[in-house]
Amino acid sequence: MNEYLKYGGILLALILLQKTVVSFIDVTEFRITPDLVLIGLVYVGIKRGKITGSIAGFVSGLILDIFSFSFIGLMALAKTAAGFASGFFNNDQKTERYLNSYIFVIIVSVASVINNIVYFAFYFQGTNLTFVDILIRYVLPTTVYTALFSVIPVIFARRRRFAR
Amino acid sequence: MKILLSYLGNLKEYIIFSALIVISLILIFQNDNVQIRFVRVIAVNVIGTIQDGFSFIPNIFELERENKSLRETNIDLSKEVSMLKEAKLENLRLNYMVEFKQRTNYNTVTGKIIGKTLIQTRNNITINVGENDSVKIGMPVITDKGLVGKVVATSGNYSIAQILFNKDLKVSAKVQRSRVDGIIAWDGEGKITMRNVSKSADVKVGDVIITSEYSNSFPAGIPIGYVTTDNTLDNLFKNIEVECFVNFETVEEVFVLKYLSDDERKELEKKFSEKSK
Repeated sequence: MNEYLKYGGILLALILLQKTVVSFIDVTEFRITPDLVLIGLVYVGIKRGKITGSIAGFVSGLILDIFSFSFIGLMALAKTAAGFASGFFNNDQKTERYLNSYIFVIIVSVASVINNIVYFAFYFQGTNLTFVDILIRYVLPTTVYTALFSVIPVIFARRRRFAR
Repeated sequence: MKILLSYLGNLKEYIIFSALIVISLILIFQNDNVQIRFVRVIAVNVIGTIQDGFSFIPNIFELERENKSLRETNIDLSKEVSMLKEAKLENLRLNYMVEFKQRTNYNTVTGKIIGKTLIQTRNNITINVGENDSVKIGMPVITDKGLVGKVVATSGNYSIAQILFNKDLKVSAKVQRSRVDGIIAWDGEGKITMRNVSKSADVKVGDVIITSEYSNSFPAGIPIGYVTTDNTLDNLFKNIEVECFVNFETVEEVFVLKYLSDDERKELEKKFSEKSK
C-alpha cells in the first residue's frame, strides 16, 4: 500500500510541475514541452506492470485533463495507452536493469510516441493539419524533449547504484 | 465456469485496459457538462494561483520570441519612418520649387536629375526633360538656390547639361556688391574660381557672385555662389575661390530656363570682332 502511495505522490508532484513550471521551458513556435508525467508513468509501468500502468495513466491523465481546460478524457486515453505499453517492460529479472540504464530512455520514447500519437491525433481532428504535420510538429519534438528529460532519473539512479 | 474465470483472469490486464479506454472515450464525448465545468473552475483557480507564484521566472524562449517580433516591428517602423522622411523632404523641395517658379520672370521646365557625374573633369547631369518639353541646347539650368549649368545635348525626353564643375563651362559673372566682373570657371579640382579679376578690385570674402549681363548664355542676376578665398594670384590678378550655392551632391530637381542667347547680339559682336581684325 505504501508503495502505491509513493507512486501516487510522485505522479501528483510531476503533474503539479507539469502544469506550473514546465510551461516556462517550452520550445519551438508550437510551444513543445517535455512530458514529465509520462516519465513517472513509465517508471510505475515498468515497476508494477500493465494494470497499474493503465490505472496510473488513466488517473494522472484525467487530472491533467481537468487542469488543461481542454478535452476531458483525452489525456486520460493517451496516458492509459502509454501506461499500458510501459507495463510490457515489467519483468522481475529485468526491471532494475531497465530503470538504471539508458534503456529507460528508449522505453520512455516508445511510450511517448504512443501517448502523443493518441493525444494529438484526437486533438487536431477537424483541423487542416495532416497526420505527417502532426507527427513532425508535435509528436516527434515532444518525444525527443521528453526523452532528453528522462535521462535525468537514469543519471541519478546510476549514481546511487555506484555509491552503493 | 472455472475455466472461463481462469481464462478471464489471464485477460484481466486487457479487460481493465479496455474498460479504461472506454471510460476515457465516454468522457471525451461527454465534454462540456455542468459537473466538468465546475471542476474546471476550481482547476483554473488552482493553476492560476500556482502559476502566479512562478511568474517571476523569466521564460527565455518567450523573451527570445518577443525580441524577434519586436525587432521585426522595429525594422518595419524604421522603413515607414524613412519613407515619411523622404516624402517630407520631397514635399519641402517641391514647395520651394513652386515658390521659385512663381517668383521667376522666365518660363521654366521642371526636371528631375536622373544621372550625375561629380568626379570627372567634365561633369554633367542628365535630366528627364527634353525636346518634347521645349528644352533646347544652350538653355540655362538652375535651382531655387542658384545656377547649375547649361544644356549641351537633348533628345526627345532627356537632356544633358554641363554643370559648374565642368572644365568646358565658363560663365560671365560679377560681384553683386561691388559690380566687379570676372569669369567663373573650374580647373578640374577644388572649388570654382572667378578669374580675370584685377588685383586692385573690390572683392571681399562673403561677397555674392551672380551672372553678369555680359553673358550671352545666361540671364543676368542668377546667384552662383559666394567668395570664400580672396588672395593675390600674381602681380595682375586675384585668386578668388567661390563656394556654389547649389549643392551638387544633393540636388535632385532642377529648372530649365526657356532662355536662349540673342542671335542679333551674337551676330553684331561677331561682325565687329571680324572688322577689328
